[in-house]
Parts: sequence; structure tokens; C-alpha cells
Amino acid sequence: MNYLDKTIVEIHEALLSKKVSVLELTKEALKRAHENSDNAFELILDESAIKKATELDKLPVPKDNYFFGIPYVAKDSFSTKGIETTGSSNILNGYIPLFDATVIKYLNDANAVLIAKATLDELAMGGTGTTGHKGITYNPYDASHEHMVGGSSCGSAVSVAAGVVPFSLGSDTGDSVRKPANNVGLVGMKPTWGLISRYGLFPFAPSLDHVGYFTKSVEDSALALNLLSKRDDNDATNTYHKRDDYFKEVSKDIKGKKIAVIKEISTSIKDPVLAKKFDESIEFLKGKGAVVDMVSMDATLLSTIYPAYFIISCAEATSNNANLDGIKFGPNYGGNTYQEVMYNSRTRGFSPLIKRRFVIGSYSLMSDNQHDLFLRAQKARHMIVDAFNEVFKKYDAIYLLAAPKTAPKFNEASDKLSDTYLLADNYLAFGNFGGFPSMTLPLGFKDGMPFGVNITSKPFDEKDVFDIGLALEDFTNLKGLDINMKHGEDK
Amino acid sequence: MNFEAVIGLETHIETNTKSKMFSSAPNLAEQEPNTEVALLDMAFPGTMPRVNKEAVRKALRIAHALHMTIDDTLYFERKNYFYSDLPKGYQITQQFRPIGRNGYVEIEVGGKIKKIRIERIHMEEDTCKQLHFSSYSLLDYNRAGVPLIEIVTMPDIRTGEEARKYVEKLREIVTFADVSDGKMENGSMRCDTNISIRPYGVDKLGTKVEVKNLNSIVDIEKALDYEIKRQSESLLMGIPVIQETRRFDEGKKETVTMRIKTDAVDYKYFTEPNIAPIKLSKEFIEDAINTCPELYDQKLARFTKNYGIELTDIKILLSDKNLADYFDECAKFSKHYQSIANFMISNVLSILNKENKNITEFKVEPKYINELVELLENKEINSSQGKKIFESVVKENKSPLIFKKELGATLINDESTILDIIKEVIKENPSLPADFKAGKTRAQGFVMGQVMKKTQGKANPGVANKLIVEELKK
Repeated sequence: MNYLDKTIVEIHEALLSKKVSVLELTKEALKRAHENSDNAFELILDESAIKKATELDKLPVPKDNYFFGIPYVAKDSFSTKGIETTGSSNILNGYIPLFDATVIKYLNDANAVLIAKATLDELAMGGTGTTGHKGITYNPYDASHEHMVGGSSCGSAVSVAAGVVPFSLGSDTGDSVRKPANNVGLVGMKPTWGLISRYGLFPFAPSLDHVGYFTKSVEDSALALNLLSKRDDNDATNTYHKRDDYFKEVSKDIKGKKIAVIKEISTSIKDPVLAKKFDESIEFLKGKGAVVDMVSMDATLLSTIYPAYFIISCAEATSNNANLDGIKFGPNYGGNTYQEVMYNSRTRGFSPLIKRRFVIGSYSLMSDNQHDLFLRAQKARHMIVDAFNEVFKKYDAIYLLAAPKTAPKFNEASDKLSDTYLLADNYLAFGNFGGFPSMTLPLGFKDGMPFGVNITSKPFDEKDVFDIGLALEDFTNLKGLDINMKHGEDK
Repeated sequence: MNFEAVIGLETHIETNTKSKMFSSAPNLAEQEPNTEVALLDMAFPGTMPRVNKEAVRKALRIAHALHMTIDDTLYFERKNYFYSDLPKGYQITQQFRPIGRNGYVEIEVGGKIKKIRIERIHMEEDTCKQLHFSSYSLLDYNRAGVPLIEIVTMPDIRTGEEARKYVEKLREIVTFADVSDGKMENGSMRCDTNISIRPYGVDKLGTKVEVKNLNSIVDIEKALDYEIKRQSESLLMGIPVIQETRRFDEGKKETVTMRIKTDAVDYKYFTEPNIAPIKLSKEFIEDAINTCPELYDQKLARFTKNYGIELTDIKILLSDKNLADYFDECAKFSKHYQSIANFMISNVLSILNKENKNITEFKVEPKYINELVELLENKEINSSQGKKIFESVVKENKSPLIFKKELGATLINDESTILDIIKEVIKENPSLPADFKAGKTRAQGFVMGQVMKKTQGKANPGVANKLIVEELKK
């Protein structure tokens, strides 16, 4: 047993009672990061982490600052001052930012210790964890390296699942935190859009982008939101809505909470092990006094989530990444004209997958096509959000399996027009469409691989999400899960 | 000429806010290159825009001055294109919901008032400044993100003169509203023009030509007049006008082809997702408008009413807002408004013209001008002394009272002293009273000359003249 395998709350207790020092934690985290073989890191920050840890050990541990001395990892799409930040793309090789992202600043101000920058799907565009410039990131539950972590926050997911750190920053545009959380058995949270400042997060599609994060417990997740959701003037979309004390208020009392299970999504999941466990969890929730109903939605509308998401995100992405032209930062391969400089830099800097997304995005924004593609996707987005808001009029939360299966294998083909793919595998983006708070947490294990459930609620109703999650931990017994913890197996 | 020109203008105004449109960098584009740059201005990944409240206030003032319908919710769009002077790869602008729609300005042409309708005004941001050399180009990010207001007319303008008057009026509005210095020569006001011609009586528009690179208001008139002539001659010779962008060659005073219009760029406009729509409260809009500095017409009315000076003089003072402000300052200390106006027009302006300076570069405190005018009004000094003292005041920016003492410039006002001198002169020239009575007015002038000679010009001429006539009559 090592303190690094504990949750933030537990580590904080150990630091307070001097059972462990920040330096011991940091050294162990760095050691584990170096030993990890899942290709999860862009950069491991031995020197600065050790320096900071040494300094912190000279200070008293503040009782109410749970992040003091906690080693953490950030997705390499968060701007870190003086530390190379590439977004796992060649176009930003060697780019050293001049500023810290707001969430990095909050964590550093709280004296958390940044020990590494984590890999991602190139510029956060992708859901497989395979497209970053450093190659494939692997699932730590599978030593044979056949299973995906998923993405785009692949390295951040590995960092916590492999027990390197108890907390990592990711970002979630479609399901980039909540899907990997399913695949590696973590609590993956993205709160209401606008609650956490996005300043310094490399944008993929700002209307959908959320700062998200991984923890090993619901309690830690609520704790992290307290720190990260502080109002920030640098992000004009950062809400003025009142913040709660999520950590203090989280409660497993869910008596009378009304929970909806979307029938069309749920019934498209064919895996009997997952379905059985999910049904048992519903019975558990009912046993705790929650009202759980099967609610029907328009399947055609639900099946447009993914295509609408794809059009909108690609369209916004082509514009957001237009700043990457080799002129101001990132590798400049020269050229006789400014067009040549841009062409050379973008040709060499982006992988073919990214270029494909840019072409799709650009195509759907062109004035000849905008009406049929981009604006129609926006219209679909509104209809989808309206439909979910109807559900939220009667229910506190929507509860579903986070994915139709455990982490897929790299060579596995999926039928992209099947209900399983369109409904069950890609529905989580509805949370981004509506900016709804949404959290995935581990539910069980099948063949040694974890799988999870997702809880989504109305904007600013994070408390419902955390409360239901906290109650479920009593059912799953997977609080604190990482690869070093013993777990059961579902049949 | 059998053709009528149809002209529309797009004018960009650089707003004189403290900081840029969407970043906190100082709005000081003229400083040392690349010293006034925030992270957003260079489009570093993860930076985000924040709307400059003051820029919105200024845009509201212009919208109001142009009689526009104001949109009380701010929306911004991205205009996407790749260019070396565009750091983000898109410009944040207001494509679909401009802050102001459907306004007008009135200009005076040939003694008649003409309405020029304004289609829209919107806020956006400026690009980098580019400096091109033979084998390389330099980029200055100081200008990237400077707030711009774009003002687009309906095609209501018919002649170069009307275009000039329109731009003059616009400059007057933006300078009086303290929104911009309105200088075309340094790019704080930039004009693009669209012009086509058609036979009189025909509704259908001719082929549109865009004329750019107009660096002064005079050039706008010249370029458009040239274009009207060029296009008319072309059509009369049976050569169709081609759609193109031309620029004005200042040296040759003619327009030359810049590029032939091919397919227009597709800017792929879409909503700026990093700025949620901003609802402007009624109070905010009203406050912006009510706190707008006095515009030309208001100032004209006030100068006429409060100062009662000649209309021609008022128009001279109001030709430059800063000049009018200076006059207001002087007028605070005095009631001799017309004298101050006269002094400013004949003395202050002539110095500035000679030195090719602007009133803002005139360092003399207004109260000193007032003191000088008072001395002249009270006949404590004469006009030639006034000139000398003014020169010193301009040089050292000190009170004219100091120089008056230094020059010994005091007038002798005491009647008995002056009378003694007059008597002395008559005594020396005893025939004078008789000459005077015989109708030789020259005698009067002679005595005055002698009195001035004896007093080194210090005798109060008014007092002296009265006494001389009295003495000669005796």
C-alpha cells in the first residue's frame, strides 16, 4: 500500500498527520510516471516537481486546502507557462507558452504539484487515444496493449487509473473525459458549461468545450470542482452563477430524487453483463428511495447527436486552429510567400485525420453549404437540447451506461450506422450540446476491463450528479479504484 | 455628361479607447513596434476575447449621432480567412447583428441639405500592420486588435464632392464625440469606396469598381471624380467597365488597377462562441449617449447663444474640435468673447499655420490668452506691444503680465500728464490751433505723433486724441 493509491481526501489526512511528506508523494508519482508503459506522457517534470515538493515540505499543511502537495497531471492542451505545450500535435512542437491556463494557476496557487503533461488525441480531436504525435496511448488494465483508453484525454485518464496521481485535468468536447473514464474505471466529471474557466485550454470547439477532470472518488470530484470553478474574468463565457460548496454539500441521501433512464439508449445496449449490472444498480437506487423511470425519447433525434456534434465541432475547430500558421509560434519551415509559410507549416504539422476534420468543418461552413450542414446541425442541436430539457422538467437526472461495452480493442470495427454506435456509443455529447453537468463513474468489471455509468443533470445541478454518484459508490465498492486496487468481476 | 454615378462608402474608424477591442493591451499602435501586445493579439492558443466596454460606449455614441436604430444585444461573428496580418486566422466582427442599422447624416451640397443614408455600423478589430521589403515582410502587432467602427453608407452619393462632404461630416462627428482623432493620414480613418455609373434615368446599376488607398479627404474627391470621368469615357467609347479593385495613385492623381475581381472570398461567418450575446441595459445605452461630448451642431448652437460672436468666426473656431475646446477654456475667464475670438483667429491661428502645427501642440495656457486680451481691451497696452508680449508668451508660456512689466509696457492714462505734453507741443508749434480751426486736420495728427514721440508711444491714444482735439479747439 502506498499513499499515492489513496484519494485526495485520504492523502490530505496523511499529509496533515505527517504520515507522508509531499516529497515522498512526488517522488513516487514521478517514479510511477517513468515506469508507466502506456505512453501517457508528453513531458515528465522531475526537476520542477521535486523543487516545489521540497519547498512545500517546509510549510505547514493547511487544514482546509486539500490540494496542498497533491501531485497532479494536466492534459497537454492546457497552457503551462515556461513548459512546452504541444496539444500532442507536431504543429506546436517546441511551443513554450507565456502564460498558465486559469485552472493550472488555481491548482498551482493551491500548491498542488504538476508532475507531468499528458498525451491526448491530436489537439483533442479524437476519441481513441491513438492520434497524438507520440502515437498510441494504451489502457493500463490491459498489459497486452490491445485495448484503447479512448480519448481525447487519454494520458490524463491513464495517469489516475495507473495510480500515478490521484487527480488529472482533461477536457471534454463530446465525451473526451467521460468516455475514457468508462474505459479505465474512473470518476470523470465535466460540470456545467461556463462553470470552469476555459482560459488557457487549447480550443477544439468552444461552444462544446469543457474543462473536465479525473478522480478516484465522487468526493474528490466535488472537492476539485470547489477549487476549479472559481470565477475568472479572462473567460468571457465564465458564468456569474453562484457556486456551491460542492464538497461540503454532497450527500448520499437520494430519497425522492427522480431519475430517468432513456429507453432508446438503454435498450440499444446488448451486452448482457453490462445490462445486468446496470439493472442491479437501478434496483439499488430505488432501494435508497430514488424514483427511477424508463423514459422514451425520439430515437431519430437521438441518432442525430453524433452527426450534429461532428459537423459543429469540426466547423468550430477549423476556425480555432487557423492561428496555427507557423508565423507566430510552432515550427516555421520557411517559404517564399506567407502562403507558402502557412502551407508548409500546416502540411507538416497536422496529421491526415486532423486535415480531414478541417476539410469537413470548412466544407460545412462554406456559404453554399452552411444552410444545409452547419446551420442544420445547429438546429438539430437545439432540438436535442430542448428534448432533454423536457426530460429535466420531470427528472433530476438522467442515468445510463456510459458506453455499450468495455474499452474497445484497436482492431475492432464498429458499424457506424448501427443503433449501438449512434445511440449508445456516442450519446454523451448531448451533455456538451446543453452544457449539462455530467459525470461517469465505474460500475463494474467484465473480463478484467472496467465499465461505467453516466449521470447527467440540469445546468448548475452538479449536486444531483454528485449525490447520486456518492450513493452508487456504496453499490459498486469501487471508490478509490485504480489498477493497484483489488476489484471483483461481473458475470 | 449623360451618366450618373452611384457611390457607396465603407469607412473604418480607429477608436481611441485606452485598451484594445478584445484584449487589455494599450491601444497605442504608434508606439515602438510590437511593444503594445497582449497574448490574445498574437493568438496564443487558449487566449480568449473580452469585449471592451468603452469601445461599445463609443460605438453607441456614433450610432446615436448617425440616427441609427440601436441593437440592444451585442452579437459577434468570426470572419475566417488566412492572411499574414490576421493573427487568429479570423477577425471578430459583427456580421449579422450590427450595433446600429438604418441611420443617416445630412450634408450640405450647393446650398441644399442632402441626406446620406447609413446602412449599418458595427464593431470589429484591426489587423497587424505589415511592412513589406524586397525579400521579407515585418509584422507589427501593436495594431492587431485595435477597436474599429465600420460605417457603411447606402449608395446615395453621386459625386466626389458629396463623398468629400460626407467624410468631412463623419470626421466631424467622430472627433467631436471623442471617438477617434479621425486622421486619414495616419490611418485612424480609412475609406473604401464603391462606384458605378449608369445613364440618367436608368434604374439598373452599372458594374461596380472598388477604389482603395485613399489617404486624405481630398484624395477621395479626386479619385471619385477621376473614376466618374474614366468610366464615362470608357462607356462612351463602347468599352464596358470591368469589375475590379483600383487604388488611387497620389502622384499621378489617378486610379490604377490593383486586382481584377475574381470570385469573392468565402469568409465562412459563424457566431463567435467565446462571446455569449451581451444584453445592453437601457441605462447603459442612455448613459453612453447622454455622456457623449457635445457634437458640432450642439456646439454651434451654444456658441451662438452663449458667446454671441460672429457666425463666420464660430465656424472657424469649430473647424477643429480642439480649437473650440481651447476657446471654451479662454472664455471661462472673460466676457470679451468676440475679442478673444478675434485674437485667436488673427494671432493664435496664424502662428500655428506658420509653424504648421495643430492647436493641441499649442502649449500656452488659455488663461494667458485671456489676460492678454484683457490688457488690450482695457487699453493698458497697444496692439504693437500686444504682439511683442504674445511672442514672449508663446515662447515661455508665462503670464503676459510678467512680460508687460519687463517691456515697461504701461500706457500713460493720466489726463494731466498727457495734457502737459500736448501743451508743450503746441507751445513749440504755436500755429497749430489756427491751422486746425482752418480745417487742416493734419494738425491733429501732427500733435499725436509728437505726443507719442515724447512718451515713447506710451500715451493712451484714446485719451490723448480727446485732449488734443480739446486743446486745438481752444
